[in-house]
Amino acid sequence: MRLLLVEDDLELAQSLVERFGEHDYHVTHAHDGIRGLNAALGQDFHAIILDWMLPGLDGLELVKAVRREKATPVIYLTTMSGIDDRVRGLEAGGDDYLVKPFAFAELLARIRAMTRRAAPAVTTLCAGSIELDLVRRLVTRHGHFVDLLPQEFKLLEYLMRNVNRAVTRKMLLEHVWDIHFDPHTSVVESHVSRLRTRLNAGCDIDAIQTVRGVGYRLLAPN
Amino acid sequence: MPFKPCAASGTGCLRQTRVLKAESFRLAALFALLFLVLTGALMVTILWIVDGAQRTALIAANEADVTTVQNGFRDEGLDEAVEVVRQRLGTPTDTPMRRHSLPPGAYMAIENSRRDVLAGNLAAVDCQPGVFKLVLPPATGHHHRRTVLGRCADLSGGVTVFVGRDTAGLDMTRERIMNAFAWIALGTCAFAGLFGLFLGWRFMGRVDAITDTCERVIAGRLNERIPLGERGDEWDRLARAINEMLDRISALLENLKQVSSDVAHDLRTPLTRLRNRLEEARSRSGNMKDYSNAMARAIDDTDQVISLFGAVLRISQIESGSRIQTFAPICLTDLLEKIYELYLPVAEDCGHPLSRRLQAGVYMQGDEELLTQMFSNLVENSIRHTPQGANLLIELASVDGLAVASVIDDGPGVPPEERDKVLRRFYRLSTSRSTEGHGLGLSLVAAIAQLHGSRVELSDANPGLQVKVAFPQGSPAQLPA
Repeated sequence: MRLLLVEDDLELAQSLVERFGEHDYHVTHAHDGIRGLNAALGQDFHAIILDWMLPGLDGLELVKAVRREKATPVIYLTTMSGIDDRVRGLEAGGDDYLVKPFAFAELLARIRAMTRRAAPAVTTLCAGSIELDLVRRLVTRHGHFVDLLPQEFKLLEYLMRNVNRAVTRKMLLEHVWDIHFDPHTSVVESHVSRLRTRLNAGCDIDAIQTVRGVGYRLLAPN
Repeated sequence: MPFKPCAASGTGCLRQTRVLKAESFRLAALFALLFLVLTGALMVTILWIVDGAQRTALIAANEADVTTVQNGFRDEGLDEAVEVVRQRLGTPTDTPMRRHSLPPGAYMAIENSRRDVLAGNLAAVDCQPGVFKLVLPPATGHHHRRTVLGRCADLSGGVTVFVGRDTAGLDMTRERIMNAFAWIALGTCAFAGLFGLFLGWRFMGRVDAITDTCERVIAGRLNERIPLGERGDEWDRLARAINEMLDRISALLENLKQVSSDVAHDLRTPLTRLRNRLEEARSRSGNMKDYSNAMARAIDDTDQVISLFGAVLRISQIESGSRIQTFAPICLTDLLEKIYELYLPVAEDCGHPLSRRLQAGVYMQGDEELLTQMFSNLVENSIRHTPQGANLLIELASVDGLAVASVIDDGPGVPPEERDKVLRRFYRLSTSRSTEGHGLGLSLVAAIAQLHGSRVELSDANPGLQVKVAFPQGSPAQLPA
């Protein structure tokens, strides 16, 4: 996987290049907006990690320029934590938004979710023994019907779309509940625990793995 | 921002000249000038009309006399004409006819072809065609030459008659009119000047009151306010607006002071903990596991500092009010139903039965993301600060055009004297000091409520706490389908 990192903080960039390297990502680093844009247009990347406040060319402008030619997924990595900033960033053509400071696991999980192969328009999602019918809103495991509440269904759908990849609590909050702040209670844990109970009823294998310090992963042995 | 030192306030001696410079005085002077110009124009017009009328009357009187003489000459010859002149001049030969005699200042002369004056009260006249002006030497005992307006008429055979009248009356009228106008103009100027001074003096008094207060505020006495008059005039409105602005500024300043000292204080706590933990890890950790645990806790401490910063920033952003521009119609019923569904599992897991009583179809104008955060905070507060087993209720009702939303618990509640304080930043009840948190949750709630034109009310739920927010109700009309 090839990533482009546009970031003017050299220390942070160095650390990210190394850590992504550990996970078999090849990262090209550009330390200003102009170089970033040239790299983004000149080569093909699986995703772009982009600081907002950049010397040379503002991150927002960079995204707009890239979007005129390419659909490479873009995630902002920024200190711009204003209430409207996320909306502005996404409207300019970004795909995800992560505010600094951040946990590396969070960034990695988001990059993995972004770079998954675009799923063809299907009506049924499958993960191991679990089948989820998006049209009839039905879930079965080993052919047995699993009764889920609408929110649990959405939660499972998101986990299944990222099957075998870790998703963070933040990602779940954003995609399932459209919530963009940190709750002070274990909201996500409680929902996942209920989903787990319903999903695992009558099964020996726990389909949802808890990834310590990160979040959850839906396991589907191939 | 550096404060400018107060300007020397020895302004008393300057007050006189400042009155003359005052806008009101200038305005009064301008109006006086305008009045003078208009009065002058009016005077010229009146002079022209009156002069014209008098002149016409004078010419008409002359004409009548000429006609009388002509008639006499035509009917009875030269002698009769001479007789008429004599009669008109009040020197009759036979019958005195005083009523026919001419008024003073009227002149007549009848001359034969040799230019002998046959009758009349002036010497031979150099006749000119039409009405003409004749200048006579001063009368005996007078210094002014007399100006006579008159005309000649040929009777027959070189006999001419001249009839004229003194124009002194015209001059006198003109002079009187001009005098009258001069007095009026003088009076106007004097009155305008005095009025301008008075206005300027009143004006300066009010301006000085405001300026003095502003200078004292600039000098750092933020509690100074402009004294208000009793009339409630435009000056009082201005003064009230400035006072309200000063109130707002000092509240913001107070807030800022409070926040910066609180942040400084509240940051020290997690930073101290973080530092101690790291030191301890360095000196005591014997193996990787100890290190790893210490690191995990250090990261948690860091996250707490970050979240504190984030919350302070968010509150100040909300308080700036710019978010109002993106308000949209929101179904509050749906929003609270979502909150209910979101928190039901975690509330149950924490031993808090959560229920809801939501009126259907309640709408308002607002910011969905912020309102979601606001009700999340309220529900989380109840979950975290009530003992296990306490019941929670989310309620929504439409009352008198207001959308009234409440989060109610039957926990220990908040003592009445603490209810205002808990909305303040970083304030934490002594009972909740042990739980994790930075004391900003309710301040955020208060800021979001204020942004939506509402305020947070804490009351006794007998037993427990009811947190109520009432919003102006909106219509779903503009809701996107």
